[in-house]
Amino acid sequence: MTVVPAQPMPAASGGGGSSGLYDVLELVLDRGLVIDAFVRVSLVGIEILKIDVRVVVASVDTYLRFAEACNRLDLESGPRKNPGLPDLVGEMTESGARGKAKGALSGAARTISDAFEQARSEAEEKKTSSRSGRRSGSSRSSSSGEEKE
Amino acid sequence: MSTYVYAITRASQELPDSLEGIGEPALPVRTVRSGRLLALVSDAPAELRPKRRDLLAHQRVIIRAGAGGPVLPLRFGGVSPDDETVAAVLEEHEGSYLERLETLEGKDEFNVKASHEEEAVLYKVLSEDAALRARHEANRAAGGGTHDDRLAFGEQVARAVAEQERADAQLIEAALTPCAAGLRRGPESDGWLANLSFLVERDRQEEFRAAVRALHEEHAHLRVQLTGPLPSYSFAEAG
Repeated sequence: MTVVPAQPMPAASGGGGSSGLYDVLELVLDRGLVIDAFVRVSLVGIEILKIDVRVVVASVDTYLRFAEACNRLDLESGPRKNPGLPDLVGEMTESGARGKAKGALSGAARTISDAFEQARSEAEEKKTSSRSGRRSGSSRSSSSGEEKE
Repeated sequence: MSTYVYAITRASQELPDSLEGIGEPALPVRTVRSGRLLALVSDAPAELRPKRRDLLAHQRVIIRAGAGGPVLPLRFGGVSPDDETVAAVLEEHEGSYLERLETLEGKDEFNVKASHEEEAVLYKVLSEDAALRARHEANRAAGGGTHDDRLAFGEQVARAVAEQERADAQLIEAALTPCAAGLRRGPESDGWLANLSFLVERDRQEEFRAAVRALHEEHAHLRVQLTGPLPSYSFAEAG
């Protein structure tokens, strides 16, 4: 099932629900009441979620990839059996987040993508009850390194 | 000391005894009241950034406060110079906020994101477009065709897929809108052909979920991801 409940947030239920984390964060960052009299803290990433990077579709790479993929299709026997919903959820969240990072070339864009990447991988680490040392440091962005402490 | 604001709700709303806010260690959440409204606030941390912990804390306060009735969730990162300014805002907008809360009563937000199952959508556009299929077969017969052939073919396919995306976005909207009390379109991005938020009455949630499931079942090339119930972020402001 693709239904990702919002309520079981990590701290509320001790782990579940992280597959929807990216989608929830998008809403927290991008929607909700904005009050003019308040200062909005400048948040890297608010804008990036709005960028329409649909131009990516109109690229040579995509054309060639589609042509290639069509060649592999077997038009006689129909599309391969749909893998079905239950298996898709995790994978979709993955590729969705990666998709966002793909078209985003500016530094700011990277930063927020990385933050989401990291949020996700941290959530996953938590889920697999944290094999700590394995991917410490290096590729992490500075923005939440301190959260590990 | 500036004041971080999480949500606005009715002054009569029943709230949990204690709520932990953003910050490390977590700042205690308190209320600022004015007239028939209250705001859930905490002190603002010295430095505020969209860290995962704080985003989740923001979300959690809103969810827990919303257990007792409708709330207007603020977007993450709203900081008032002080409590007095918060009270002044509540006073100034009392009428419209109360009206909004009324609208949201008994409803939740559901976010729907859809994308294409690539192989299935390619199959669909090829099988529905004879000209495209003819070109495909010609290329195939020529051992894949030249680079330019493949490029031109791929471009046509991409155009057909983009067209299918638009059609599917409309299809999803048309299929789910009848089960919802409101719709807000989210920002477009390359990951999704549709990013829609629906306001759904609690007693119609099952009906809404069933409509989402039916979409996938009837259209094998669609991946539909449903997130919710969520606080009504997308409906906090009157459209």
